[in-house]
Amino acid sequence: MTGRTHENDPMTILKEPVLTKRIPTHPFGDPADRKVVSYKQYVKTDGYKGLGNALAMDPKDVVDLVKAAEVRGRGGAGFPAGMKWSFLPPEDGGRRYLAINSDESEPGTFKDRLLIDFDPHIIIEGIAICMHACRLDTAYFYIRGEYHHQREVFEAAIKEAYDNKVLGKDSRLGKINDRWPDLFLHRGAGAYVCGEETALLESIEGKRGWPRIKPPFPAVAGAFGRPTIINNVETLAVCAPILERGEDGPTWFQSMGTQRPEGAPPHVPASFGPKLYGVSGHVNRPGVYEEELGITLKDLIEGLCQGMRGGKKFKTAIPGGISTGVLSTEDYDVKLDFDITKYDTLGLGTAGVIVMDEDTCMVGVARNIARFFGHESCGQCTPCREGTNWMAKMLARIEAGDGTTRDLDLLLEIAGSMGALPSGRGATICGLADGANWAIRTIVNKFWSEFEAKVSKQRYVSLSVVGG
Amino acid sequence: MAWITKNSGTMQIDRRDEPYLTDEIKQKLEDEVVPRYDTRMAVTMPALHLVQDTHGWLPQQAIEEIAEFLGLTASQVLDTATFYEEYWLKPHGKYVIWVCQSLSCELLGQQGLTQQIGEHLGIGPGETTEDGKFTLMSVECLGSCGTAPCALVNHKLHENITADNFQKVLDALE
Repeated sequence: MTGRTHENDPMTILKEPVLTKRIPTHPFGDPADRKVVSYKQYVKTDGYKGLGNALAMDPKDVVDLVKAAEVRGRGGAGFPAGMKWSFLPPEDGGRRYLAINSDESEPGTFKDRLLIDFDPHIIIEGIAICMHACRLDTAYFYIRGEYHHQREVFEAAIKEAYDNKVLGKDSRLGKINDRWPDLFLHRGAGAYVCGEETALLESIEGKRGWPRIKPPFPAVAGAFGRPTIINNVETLAVCAPILERGEDGPTWFQSMGTQRPEGAPPHVPASFGPKLYGVSGHVNRPGVYEEELGITLKDLIEGLCQGMRGGKKFKTAIPGGISTGVLSTEDYDVKLDFDITKYDTLGLGTAGVIVMDEDTCMVGVARNIARFFGHESCGQCTPCREGTNWMAKMLARIEAGDGTTRDLDLLLEIAGSMGALPSGRGATICGLADGANWAIRTIVNKFWSEFEAKVSKQRYVSLSVVGG
Repeated sequence: MAWITKNSGTMQIDRRDEPYLTDEIKQKLEDEVVPRYDTRMAVTMPALHLVQDTHGWLPQQAIEEIAEFLGLTASQVLDTATFYEEYWLKPHGKYVIWVCQSLSCELLGQQGLTQQIGEHLGIGPGETTEDGKFTLMSVECLGSCGTAPCALVNHKLHENITADNFQKVLDALE
């Protein structure tokens, strides 16, 4: 697969595939040609060149390079990866861990799966670069329990990496903290909350996946109480092509994506680089596509996804997994980058876009989402444990036609009173409730008339009055 | 729901002489898994997976054996085992059908599909057929939204399913 095969497609911005370089994907290749890239094929196509460049550099300079590129985390929060890496305390000879978050469980998100399925070595290269840069000796690849096939593929890739001395005894990384670097796969067992970084660490330690109170942050006291870096699969994978270009990496990376919003203070990061978008729902050709950050929703749907299914009209979309909330119908040409928060959403999330057409019942969508969060709440914080399930019950009732206008106000009040962010009154430990909060609030607010049409009229009584 | 646990204080535990955590499994864990982690407690999840993959589910006796092997209390292991949805603390059918019910799958017709599968098998979600062949489960996102609706049958993922093609899959199972 070489060069562009889509000259006639004006809707794509990306000039050449980066993360999907070896994974045939529209418009550069045909997904039917996909097969697992072995270590040998990976090396033949410039693989592990980035690691070679990194190993020739001082670890600190690698961190600075990633910092200079302004790589933002691809797992949801969009936190700058280089900055996260620089939070580690100085080495003290003890163990330091890397945890790779592959607990991809958010509805709408299936992008990391593509990399694991077909190009596992780009992930392993990113892991090795990070271990070298941050002086981490042990890495755990936390993969969700339902990814059975992916687990087998990745185990085989790890074995290849060991056989070729990327990792393990006599690794080309040399000894780190006086230990040969190791990469182990840790299999989850079906818990969405384990995608939260500290819950993931608890799960690695063999406990229930209950998020921890921060501080201490994982960089200081993470897995087994030791300094730990937690990164998403795609974040680490994208470091490999950056390092492959050495000193030119940051400039190359920043030639893609969008600049920081106009007038934003310098500490607000821009949205640079390529990104995997997983599009599902009512489009003709759903799937994972690689594009530059900042492609518009319209171009993504009408270009790569070949339009709406059955010629229906666009109604709404979720920009990055259900926790990010919904866009209004007018926001059809919104740019999908990290600045999407200004459209009253929680953020770009994982860029798992769920598209819905004009026939979609938003009450049903809200009910489905509330049930998901009610089911996946870990039960540690009361507002989330009770609130999510309360909302799920109310929405099921509203959908069945038994709701009243009071329910709608109550729904907004419950949603707005849970979450770790100020929008959720800081009432919970982790961000799971923020997802429920934003999803339900944005759906109800942006599609109020649909909800109103489902319920009968009743005067609203505030919770505080009911409670008193 | 992950956080609901049952009172086990007065529970009768079925026991058998032959251990679930066989010497062979113990050896495998000791050689391959224990060195990977800093604590023995961290071996809990791999041990639960291994016993479940061998036996199909996790009887209380197995929980106790794992606890003893790892130097933990049975309640610590049970605490972890009850949290995660994939661990079975009671037996299930030979084939477990996990139908995804999350948003992308629901948008593309999962509700009718689950109903049709249920009618075909004569069971509802959470139930097992009388012959012990199938257990039907409605679960949250399986990470296959682009090929929705989807379902796992034991460890195998089926994508873009319809009532027709999925019934053929089920009928072909022994």
